[in-house]
Amino acid sequence: MLPVKQLRVTGRLYATKGRALYRFSGTQLTRLRFASRVKDPAVTPSGDRIALAQLQDQSSTIVVSDPNGQNRQTLTPSSAAEGSLWAFAPGFDGAGQRIVYLTDRGKQPSSPQNLRPNDLGLWSYDLASGQSRRLVQPFAYTGGDSDPSYRPGVSDQLVYTTYLYGGAPPEPVARLTWMSLRTGATVYLSPDLGRNFEPALSPDGRYLAFIRAGAGSDDLFVMPLAPTYTREQRPYPSEAAVLIQSGVISQPVWSPDGRSIAFLMLTKGSFDLFILPITMDIAIHGAGVAQAVTHGSFLDADSRLAWSS
Amino acid sequence: MNHSPATGVPDAPGSRRVRWIALGAIALALVMISGLLIYLSPVLALLEPHDPSLGRVAGAPVATPPPLDSKRRINILLLGSDNDQKFRQDALLSQTMIVVSIEPATHQVTLLSLPRDLWVEIPGHPSAKIDLAYAEGGAALARATVEKAFKIPIHYYAWVGLNGLVRVVDRVGGIDLDVLHPVLDDNYPNDFSDSGYGTERVYLAAGPQHLDGRHALQYVRSRHGDLLSDFGRSVRQQQLLLAIQQRTAGMDLVTALPTFAQDLNGHVKTDLDLVRLTQLALFMRNLHPADVHQAYISPYVRDATSADGQQILMADWTAVHGYLRQLFGGDLLP
Repeated sequence: MLPVKQLRVTGRLYATKGRALYRFSGTQLTRLRFASRVKDPAVTPSGDRIALAQLQDQSSTIVVSDPNGQNRQTLTPSSAAEGSLWAFAPGFDGAGQRIVYLTDRGKQPSSPQNLRPNDLGLWSYDLASGQSRRLVQPFAYTGGDSDPSYRPGVSDQLVYTTYLYGGAPPEPVARLTWMSLRTGATVYLSPDLGRNFEPALSPDGRYLAFIRAGAGSDDLFVMPLAPTYTREQRPYPSEAAVLIQSGVISQPVWSPDGRSIAFLMLTKGSFDLFILPITMDIAIHGAGVAQAVTHGSFLDADSRLAWSS
Repeated sequence: MNHSPATGVPDAPGSRRVRWIALGAIALALVMISGLLIYLSPVLALLEPHDPSLGRVAGAPVATPPPLDSKRRINILLLGSDNDQKFRQDALLSQTMIVVSIEPATHQVTLLSLPRDLWVEIPGHPSAKIDLAYAEGGAALARATVEKAFKIPIHYYAWVGLNGLVRVVDRVGGIDLDVLHPVLDDNYPNDFSDSGYGTERVYLAAGPQHLDGRHALQYVRSRHGDLLSDFGRSVRQQQLLLAIQQRTAGMDLVTALPTFAQDLNGHVKTDLDLVRLTQLALFMRNLHPADVHQAYISPYVRDATSADGQQILMADWTAVHGYLRQLFGGDLLP
């Protein structure tokens, strides 16, 4: 059992530890039973369905179930003609009808003698029709894209992280990316160089929390997003406000009421769960200090958090 | 009654007491020395005799380590090899070569990665990729090659095999680092398969996370999914070293050395002596991330093909030496 401080969590907040799924609610902590190892939980806004990446030895699939892990349905294949497949980071749209996720599906078969790129691209799955389609082709040999999510309140916009290389000599770059599903157009929301990643949209879709890699730290930032999709959006870097600096932070997620952000922070060698209250007046900023939900819990920092009402 | 063996005359009570005290002190000292040797034996097993002249060509400079109380720079050549069963154990390439340069006076450390495909003169051998030096002549030839090409005096070396890295990371309880890109490799060498020729699929998500030894090895070793190939790998290798240093910063490494060494026997070799090893462990303990500088020669090399058709890197040596003078100042060899 994870060590938990007596901090009340409103709604239901999901995290994984050792590839097992845990739910924090009130001051209760529940381990949810799944047959195999899981990561990257996602929930519908109402919290009636949960999606996960279910891990096998050399592949993974996206599954959905009710919040207790019952009535499970596997959405994506673990292998295809091109070989074994990965699938990670599912995210529901506002209606809970579509899922955006990452996969290496569509890659060319590869061998040590004939190496081919197998980067992760963005795909969507329609729960009604059972059809999948590719949304974004990643840059080859970058590892691909990450952290996709639909913009709440609208059904035709995505945000995600694009991984690529930039500068001379080339260095790793991660850019926050905003995409119109209507036109397929994308716009970068962060500078050309540097690493900005793990975007998380507020429940009203107006703000974007994200992580910015600094010198030896990964800091939590937030910035506004224009109400409608525009290729003119140039918010960076002055409009991005820092919420927590000089930490090693990952996986931000907003509370369902938009008044808090939960995240994992490295503390004494352990990634623990914290909640930071937020206020929005003229600008958005932290309303107090981040409070620890766990202590010495060693949660999986490479696995997303999910929070429903 | 006790008698003096020489005279048969009973000893005075005072002299008997002195003799017993002396015997007791000697016995205690012997027990302590034996205990210390038993305690340190795993460490001693890792250490090889320091002989910097081994494998050198005549006339090549010999880098003498600075005295222990000196504030002069110490350079350690860190070597890493694939040492699974598909390779001859006496002819391993050095896939990783990093010069760890320690400046006690300023409390600074520089990590300089040397690309494995760099075409260099290997003393006593035809020109070749730098990773061949270790295979042809072990640490001594690797050291001599680096000194000749880069003019960096190498005072010590440390070699680590695949399992050694995994064990080091696991021994410190894993490491915490920020994975720079998603790592995807459908053809990652599975060195621990029966044949040693198997492959496995690897995935590591990007971002801050905790890695155990196996996943840390995957992170620093995978190159198939990285556009920067070996350069990208060099960046990740240095990142790993920093993560290990940060992880161990709060640990009592001096006390932990014997346990570490027991775990690493056969997977790590070095010619650092015990006193210097302890001195460095203490130095590293007080090192802050800002004191460590990462250096690469990638801006000064270009892709090329050797006469025998190998894909290699050719250096602009004038530019490389200019860069090294910035890093090492007057501490380079003539």
